[in-house]
Amino acid sequence: MAIINQATKELQVKIVYYGPGKGGKTTNLEQVHGNVQNVREKGKLVSLATSSDRTLFFDFLPLEAMAIKGFKTKFQLYTVPGQVIYNTTRQLVLRGVDGLVFVADSQYEKMAENVESFQNLEDNLKTLKLNFAEIPYVLQYNKRDLPNAAPVEYLDYLLNNREVQVPSFPAVASRCEGVFESLNMITRLLLNKFINDGARKAA
Amino acid sequence: MPGLPPLIEEDVQLLNSVLDELLQKSESAAALVIDKGGPIINQRGAVDQFDTTTIAALAAGSFCATQAIAERLGETSFTSVYQQGERFSLLFSNIDENALLIVIFKAQLSAGAVKYYAAGAVPQIAAQLQRAQQRAPGESLDLVSENVLDVSAIFSKRRQN
Repeated sequence: MAIINQATKELQVKIVYYGPGKGGKTTNLEQVHGNVQNVREKGKLVSLATSSDRTLFFDFLPLEAMAIKGFKTKFQLYTVPGQVIYNTTRQLVLRGVDGLVFVADSQYEKMAENVESFQNLEDNLKTLKLNFAEIPYVLQYNKRDLPNAAPVEYLDYLLNNREVQVPSFPAVASRCEGVFESLNMITRLLLNKFINDGARKAA
Repeated sequence: MPGLPPLIEEDVQLLNSVLDELLQKSESAAALVIDKGGPIINQRGAVDQFDTTTIAALAAGSFCATQAIAERLGETSFTSVYQQGERFSLLFSNIDENALLIVIFKAQLSAGAVKYYAAGAVPQIAAQLQRAQQRAPGESLDLVSENVLDVSAIFSKRRQN
């Protein structure tokens, strides 16, 4: 849940990158860390990884954006470990999540893993008593450069088939394509949500 | 899981005074109240000396992981973790379902004393967070007049050569 401090004029939001193992979640954060500009403050990218560079607990990147309406806006980007066995860890990282970027692997042979990971996300949110319908998310179809990438329509059919369709982005995270588009869209959805919630409660 | 309500001046003042008192009595270096999701709610002391944003994210993960292990061992009450260092030690104390107190103190200080004073601070912090929750469960950030279209690209990418 976002932290709003009216006294210090500070807003903190948590965005989690979710998806199957080796799908490119960590690469997204590395690319944001390496290429972002025009932020007030960029923290260190912290990776809790195994010796073979697989995410063990999470990656963490704090960013402070330019002030929005006088509010210091701090974004905390996290990844979860994608491997199936680390489910308890994924639940811990999802705690307090405000928005999600689901990073799918576009390769045909990864479709089952994509679907399983998406289902796992829904299950974990339920376990944490979070309502998926209330959490903004975007889909990123990564690895579009690979020859065995499935058509975007097919990925949409498999992953973007809920009642309300969400924005989806083709990406090649290793070349930083689609990375900022996904991040900016989830940011926009989140800020929109705060505004709509605020307006509803003010009414 | 109810989220943290927006904090107002009264909350921040109370948290400041409780943390300042804790720091003074225990002679600790810094004290942070954090959300178990990772972000900092409030912090006092020599916070510029440490990367508190990252410490908070890691501490939240660490505490919740240790708590999950304790649950698997059948522990029903799990309130604190002590990390012993050579320069600085840390104490993590559970505040309530959503919040955690972190105290960073010089390693030569007595952990028992820090724990004692932290135990006194925790209920005061919990009570104030509870008051905030009851005061404004529905209040949200006033960004209504903000034109979100203007922030469509809040993060811009460095041009690549």
